[in-house]
Amino acid sequence: MTGSMAVRTRGLSRWYGWDNALVRAVDEVDLDVPAGQTLAIMGPSGCGKSTLLHLLGGLQRPTDGEVWLADRRIDTMSERALARLRRDTIGLVFQSFHLMDELTAVENVEMAALLAGWSPGRARRRALHLLDQVGLADRATHLPSALSGGQRQRVAIARALSNEPQVVLADEPTGNLDTAATLEVLRLFEELRPTGQTLVVVTHDARIAAVADRVISMRDGTFADDSLLTGTGTGTVYGGVH
Amino acid sequence: MAGRLLLIWRLLIRGLRQHRTENVLLLVAITAATATLTLGLALNELVTRPYERTQAATAGPDLVVESGLTGPQALDALAPLATLPGVTEHSGPFPLAFLTLTARDTTVRVIVEGRDEAPAAVDRPALTDGTWIRAGGVVMERTFAEALDVHTGDTVTINGHPLQVTGFAVTAARAVYPQVHWHLPGGNLVEKGGLVWVDHRDITTLAGDRRLSYTLNLKLVDPQAGAQVVGRSTDDPRFRGWIFRSAGDIATSSGRQNRQAETALTVGSWLLTGLAIVGVAGIVAGRVIARRRQVGLLKAVGAGPGVIAAVHLAEYLVLGLAAAGAGLATGWFAAPLLFRPSPGFIGSVDVNPPLRMVVTATTFALAIAVAATLGPVLRAVATSTVHALADAPTPARRRRWLIWLSRRLPTALLIGVRINARRPHRARLVTMNTLITTTAIAAVLSILAQDDDPLNLGYSELPDPRNERTLQAMLIVAGVACFLALLNAIVSTWTAVLETRHPLAVARALGATPTQAGMGMAVAQLLPAAPGVVAGIPVGTGLYLFFDGERYPPASWALTAALGVLLGVALITAIPALAAARRPVADTLRAAAT
Repeated sequence: MTGSMAVRTRGLSRWYGWDNALVRAVDEVDLDVPAGQTLAIMGPSGCGKSTLLHLLGGLQRPTDGEVWLADRRIDTMSERALARLRRDTIGLVFQSFHLMDELTAVENVEMAALLAGWSPGRARRRALHLLDQVGLADRATHLPSALSGGQRQRVAIARALSNEPQVVLADEPTGNLDTAATLEVLRLFEELRPTGQTLVVVTHDARIAAVADRVISMRDGTFADDSLLTGTGTGTVYGGVH
Repeated sequence: MAGRLLLIWRLLIRGLRQHRTENVLLLVAITAATATLTLGLALNELVTRPYERTQAATAGPDLVVESGLTGPQALDALAPLATLPGVTEHSGPFPLAFLTLTARDTTVRVIVEGRDEAPAAVDRPALTDGTWIRAGGVVMERTFAEALDVHTGDTVTINGHPLQVTGFAVTAARAVYPQVHWHLPGGNLVEKGGLVWVDHRDITTLAGDRRLSYTLNLKLVDPQAGAQVVGRSTDDPRFRGWIFRSAGDIATSSGRQNRQAETALTVGSWLLTGLAIVGVAGIVAGRVIARRRQVGLLKAVGAGPGVIAAVHLAEYLVLGLAAAGAGLATGWFAAPLLFRPSPGFIGSVDVNPPLRMVVTATTFALAIAVAATLGPVLRAVATSTVHALADAPTPARRRRWLIWLSRRLPTALLIGVRINARRPHRARLVTMNTLITTTAIAAVLSILAQDDDPLNLGYSELPDPRNERTLQAMLIVAGVACFLALLNAIVSTWTAVLETRHPLAVARALGATPTQAGMGMAVAQLLPAAPGVVAGIPVGTGLYLFFDGERYPPASWALTAALGVLLGVALITAIPALAAARRPVADTLRAAAT
């Protein structure tokens, strides 16, 4: 039904409250994201972009409409099936990192793979490889409290990739980071492009949007603008900073 | 599967390491409840096992027969029983005299048994102090001697004849003091008294003109056969006035001394279980809230409900197991120290508790852990992922009547009322905490209020050891209850301080003084404690009166106890609350913003 679309929604809505207090956080959104595309969703605070991301990741249930992810309709799935989908197909990156304080960096990274049923040895090899990729091989056994904000977010990105997900959903991944750390994250996202993973990023940051293939602007729960940017932007962002 | 187990194991270990204080509190709460239950169970062991040991060590009889006749007729009547089929061994018949003994101006009933210097084949009283009988001397049953505060070398008088106490001994052929079944020769009216042994040559002198009874100790092929071995049937005219006591009867009579204490401990362990659940629930509720973000994160990376429940429950089950071991060991080893089963027996309980006790205590501890944690864990599992990740506090519910009522109150009271309205679950736990503690205290007061009926031993009265043991048991229960309640109150206040630090900081930023904020916290604990105290007095009194007793404690005692508990709660909660309220407002507001 969804063809080669990694993400597809039809009439997707999420409302809060009722009567005069009704808030249409996401209002009848139709979205198609082809596999391998990097999509940036931008918009002012409260426009519904984080809610949309949560709906795509099965973290929230829609009020109405359909959500398809990797050719599977997820809005009707049970919680158990959604959990299975998240551990096999989706990688999530949050603004607040959401690392487990009790676990070291490498243990945080391998967590998703362990939940996905990987053997401990394979999960550890994959986690170490990813930490090496994000430049934190020497911080593998550090607790999150011993890492800077940028390092924590890189660990979070490595964790999102540890189970080799088809779709990575990132919610304001640079929202809590300074400029240097933001550039580290940008570099990582850019390196994701050749791997063929689909990336959906919700952001305020124009530099993040600049590395995307496509940018959607949201306003009041609906798409105000949808632009394809393939082949543009990245160089400008890096060129401007370096 | 291996990966998930590794993850659960990893989070379990880190959780145990990181939350040491909470873990210790959980451990103490469950251990205290398990230890009390074990005490109750161990008391039963303490009553039965030492009797069995004493029976084995003294070659105790399976059946003791006292003829309803006296003098030579009794000897003639008893003699054929020794050779009945089913009887393997016997000793006696030994002469018995039902007399009075005077020691330290106390005159009590005593059964005097005449013995040879040589040990008998059946029932060889085991000396615990001094030497065995000799002419002119007397050996006293140890419990009896302790009750009279007699020591070896003292002189006692039996029927006006002075005798030197040469030693103390224990026996399995007769129940311990005061349940020795003193009666007049041939009579059926049984009275309380003590037991002594004298040289058989002295007993006739001691008895004077009283006729001697005789007792025969039998070992049977089937120890359970009891009086059936003599072919006795109900109302058999041949045995009218005879007394047959099996080893089981003697053990039961001796155990009667501890029955009230055992009930007190068993009921007490229920109360303490309630307190432990309240304490554990309080800690766990706070902890699950603190780990809400972790739940959200686990869900976000694909953990199912099973994994999340396992991550939480594993920790509490491990703590429950550890508490089971600690509680079992504490209860088992403390039991003989707190409750000497009876100085009338030798030996103590086994080194290792019986398997059924281990299973019961372990199940009990795990049940507390699960009962207190299942609700919060299931709620955590059902929490929305986004909500959990945001770590959003539960929104306050608007209660118009409460707002209307509390706005007329002084600031400290207003803050207290509003905090409780925000945390109804915690407020209920505080109520339960004080209810159970006050119940235990009221039960102790009820015991103290009873007429301490002394033992009437014929001519003098002595304190009833049963009452002493019951009071001792209730004091233990009340002591452990107060300790647990103190622990719960501190935990409750501290979690309230943590949960309300932000609104209190805002209140202070708007002009509330640290004292008003601190007192508000203390009031928040005190308000739900009050109904618990008010209900606890009648519940505790009623609970005691349900099992025993007939007199209510004086109203002044109840009032003092109620005010004492409330004052205790106020003091316990005010100190941490006031300390927390003195924290700089800016620090709290800054911490909340990140």
